[in-house]
Amino acid sequence: MSELESVIGLCRMVQSGKIEPFDIDFDYVMSVIQKHYPDIKNPRDFCMDAEALKELSLVLERQNQWIEHKSTTLYKDPFMLSQSLMALDIGAIADIFLRSWHPLVEMEQMSAATLAASLSYWGDLVPFAERWQDSEVEERETGIATRDEARQLGYLPEEGFTDIIEAFWRELGERVGPGGSIEYWDWIGADTYEQTVYRAYLTVFMVGYGYANATWNRMMDEYTIIHKETPEPNPEEAKISLSVLVDYEEWKLWRNE
Amino acid sequence: MAQRMSKAQQQYQRKLKDAVHLLFFTHHKLPGVRGWELRKELGSDWQNVLEVLDKQLQPLDLQVTQVLDDPDIIDPTNAQLQDARYYITMRGTVTQKTAKTIGWRIDDIAGLAVSVAYIISKQGKSPRQDVERVLEEKLPGWRVKLNIDRYINQGYLGEDEQGILFLDWRSRAEINSKKLVDLVVSYGKREQESA
Repeated sequence: MSELESVIGLCRMVQSGKIEPFDIDFDYVMSVIQKHYPDIKNPRDFCMDAEALKELSLVLERQNQWIEHKSTTLYKDPFMLSQSLMALDIGAIADIFLRSWHPLVEMEQMSAATLAASLSYWGDLVPFAERWQDSEVEERETGIATRDEARQLGYLPEEGFTDIIEAFWRELGERVGPGGSIEYWDWIGADTYEQTVYRAYLTVFMVGYGYANATWNRMMDEYTIIHKETPEPNPEEAKISLSVLVDYEEWKLWRNE
Repeated sequence: MAQRMSKAQQQYQRKLKDAVHLLFFTHHKLPGVRGWELRKELGSDWQNVLEVLDKQLQPLDLQVTQVLDDPDIIDPTNAQLQDARYYITMRGTVTQKTAKTIGWRIDDIAGLAVSVAYIISKQGKSPRQDVERVLEEKLPGWRVKLNIDRYINQGYLGEDEQGILFLDWRSRAEINSKKLVDLVVSYGKREQESA
């Protein structure tokens, strides 16, 4: 092993905690690196030289950390600490430890609600035998339906989407007055969850298309919907993006209030 | 206005409950919740919610404990707080009797105390053989290796691929290192004076 390799090995012992950072004589290690520098002939020697410098700089970093550690209130002379530990009997050490130990509290228990939900899931779960059955495909005659027939079947809305949004905007105006405002849940909330989702969906477009405004109250953690006296509808270019906030649990809470 | 206040209070109560569920129940492989997870669930005032929860836990001898990734940070930034881990720990300490009932032998506790104090004295890193040598002074050799493995499995100590031991997440969450070191030294001084 060359002298430089020994120096690298010595520096690495500091990183692994085998020797103290100040056990390394910086000037001596630097003089070894300097001594070998003029003899560099190939890239391998260059790499070795660079490696030695890198490891020495890491030693300096550890020396700095050591000084910082020593300046903290946590620092106690390692020798004194180990001597104190050796002088104590096992009972005293355990007692000392217990006075500075605050065990973690955590729960891994299953709640009644989780069990009930799991049971309900189990009840609804279709048996494997049924799930893996090949789906039976029935051949059906294709046909043609007119737009009116599609509307009657409920596949297409009775009116255009813009008409629906405008009717929704008028409803908002009637409820809060021109330019008035209403809390988000009081506006979208309906008797059924499906209706609530539908109203939330329309609200997104009503705000996005410029028929109403929405403001977010950080303190109250809620949105307010504000009616616009003069709408600026432009479905091509949505102005505000509002997420559809219809949490089922929140809807239940709102209904019970 | 009165309705608004009560609604805000209800909301706060709900956030407190959410914080309890997040902090008490194990959600990941390791216990504890990161600050950013709490922020995501509790909203921007998550730190106030934790403060209120900490106060409410006081009569139960519990507390919300914050563990920063870098234990040397004194005044953490918002980003560092979001990266920190939060746990529920006992506010007070346990007696030897209680420790025994939760599965700790006195030898195991002493072994952990010596390992932790020794590693702290070595700036938080020490080769495993050195720690074993210190423990062998008071514990039978066959128990030493087993105990260190146990401390590693429980998250008190970590070991890298070069066999270097360091203090892991559980030590940082549960052990008041400063108090431990101070007590060891002051106890040692008292022993010397009385001898």
